[in-house]
Amino acid sequence: MTSEPDAPLFADRPEWEDVVPLPQYENVDPLAPIFYTDEYKDATNYFRGIVKTGEMSPRVLELTENIIRQNPAHYSAWQYRYKTLMALKAPLDVELRLMDELAVRYLKTYQVWHHRRLLVTETREPGPELEFITKSLQEDMKNYHTWSYRQWLLAYFNDDALWSDELNFADQMLESDIRNNSAWHHRFFVVFQSGVRTGDENREEVVRRELAFVKNYISLAPNNASAWNYLRGILDHSATPYSQLLLFVTPYSVPRSPDADLVDVIDLENPPPSMGAQLPCVAAIEFLADIHENEGGDDIMKATELWRSLADEHDTIRKKSREYRIRDALQKVQV
Amino acid sequence: MPTTNSESDLEPLAELPRLATTGHATHCKMCLAGLPAGQVDIDSSRLALVFYCLGSLDLLDIINNKTNNDERQMWVSWVWEQQTSGPYGSGFKPGPYMTPEKHLGVPDNDYSNDNSPHIIVTYTALLCLAILRDDFTRLDRSGLIKFLRSCQKDDGSFSTEPLGGDSDLRTVYCAFAISSMLDDWSGVNVDRAFGFIASCRSYEGGYGQSPFCEAQGGTTYCALASMHLANRSFLLIEHLSASERRNTIRWLIQNQDGSGGFCGRTGKDADACYCFWCGASLSILGVGELVNTSALARFVASCQFKFGGIAKAPGEHPDPFHTYLALAALSLHPPQQDVSAPSSWILQALDPLLNTKQDTAAWARQHIPAPGN
Repeated sequence: MTSEPDAPLFADRPEWEDVVPLPQYENVDPLAPIFYTDEYKDATNYFRGIVKTGEMSPRVLELTENIIRQNPAHYSAWQYRYKTLMALKAPLDVELRLMDELAVRYLKTYQVWHHRRLLVTETREPGPELEFITKSLQEDMKNYHTWSYRQWLLAYFNDDALWSDELNFADQMLESDIRNNSAWHHRFFVVFQSGVRTGDENREEVVRRELAFVKNYISLAPNNASAWNYLRGILDHSATPYSQLLLFVTPYSVPRSPDADLVDVIDLENPPPSMGAQLPCVAAIEFLADIHENEGGDDIMKATELWRSLADEHDTIRKKSREYRIRDALQKVQV
Repeated sequence: MPTTNSESDLEPLAELPRLATTGHATHCKMCLAGLPAGQVDIDSSRLALVFYCLGSLDLLDIINNKTNNDERQMWVSWVWEQQTSGPYGSGFKPGPYMTPEKHLGVPDNDYSNDNSPHIIVTYTALLCLAILRDDFTRLDRSGLIKFLRSCQKDDGSFSTEPLGGDSDLRTVYCAFAISSMLDDWSGVNVDRAFGFIASCRSYEGGYGQSPFCEAQGGTTYCALASMHLANRSFLLIEHLSASERRNTIRWLIQNQDGSGGFCGRTGKDADACYCFWCGASLSILGVGELVNTSALARFVASCQFKFGGIAKAPGEHPDPFHTYLALAALSLHPPQQDVSAPSSWILQALDPLLNTKQDTAAWARQHIPAPGN
């Protein structure tokens, strides 16, 4: 039933003879008219004809697939296709296999993913979807629609089996690209935003585990904004003072000391910057400044010095925002 | 070696070329005149593209100076032709793509429910008409309220159409912007929508498109603008705590990268549209001055296409969406004039909440509410 590239026009097919094609209305002075191909005009003429009579038959599936392949954003074709599938009680697993192909082909189209949600809401079989998403992320590891679909699927069906391997999955995604912010976000969602799973009842232990996890990743690649955002996320979420990270953060906030690599006792709680990492690290200086500002008193001056070094030397593009922090902090001192 | 960004405010701006305003206007006018078959995916969002074209011309101050009245009246009647009503209220459809011809040159307007209004398109239609200084006597206001009501879902979000379609922060923003322009919020349950917005907040400080999604510049703009539009009408108390506000500002500022442009998500490449979404978000939070404007202008300069129009990134093809949003970003955050930035970079002032020229926003607020309201 797939439309061939050289398939004849619907107007030339005897089995469509009984449908009255309805050409599109266009104002004599149209704005942004599209110079449609003959194939698109032909298919949409028959689609308007079908919609007029309200026909919902197997050939409507062929017609709407044809249109979708020409214009995957044609949401009326998607909507009518869905209605027809429901009316025909068509096998939705067949439809999902077709969608496997179309989703990867039209990865950035809203409608492809919306249609998929409607189908899975109907089949109530989310299991196989995880594998499909994992495969489709191989095409584009940061595709927003694909990740959103996964997050929706997990939250909507929310059954234990579905969640069981999710932390592992997030791990694997991070292993293939430690700078993939979508994977970091997903980890946060799985660990902190979606209830408590068996084995994770001790939340303090979970926070300790996540802190150890993110510290190791920062140690591997200190200039990774995603990892620092994750660190801040854990601390904010668990109301842990940033100052508890002082020991960890400090070595990242200064130029590498000449004898750093000679230290033979490694503090496992506080892994040092990996060899060859660019130091000092902007995110660490920023973090340290936040600690000092929060301490207040004399520490405010330490914070302003750090912001000053970011503004003038290490992160000059954000000069204005660091100077804003300096003014803001000094004002509070005076008050 | 310390990690230092090569771009800086301290560098001279001598190299900043002109903003090719004529070329960008030409790009938009050409798109209004017609699109090639390869852009058929615009079919179901044509009116939104018209808004990006007209909005660009408006920011370049060309609408009233360089287009003639007949031309503008033709545009106005095309936009009104997209107003459609049905059992779920009335609004605007994206174009005639689902409208058959009744007789030669006459639309069949009583066609079907599959030709219903679309909430995002409706927001852009109102702005198009305000840009063209229409008096809005043809607006079906009660139908529009009914339409908004039938789009709102139990979770507080809005579907793109009464009978379905996706729903996320984009549609919440459109519903709020429409209500704000109408100065009538009876079509939306504001509390429930606020609940939805809050559920989209991410640990990074931005907002995702839907609950549990990754922070993203466009939807962060939608969240912040929605809250502030509602605040403007209801004078609610502060809806972000001091620490939330600080986190949001931090994340937005972090998104301006070494290219001078803004990325939409942590670690992604800069894109001209996020210069607006992130830049305008900072303006809404009252800290627009934190944007590095000279770096921003250099990024937009590098996205200019040599035959007109602005692309998402250097070397890409231009389109009206990125052209408009880049111009809107420049309007809010022009490069400083004490250096040698050509005056072409100074555009008409923008209203960051409605995302249109200030004069146009004032016109909308004056003419869209029901008379005597």
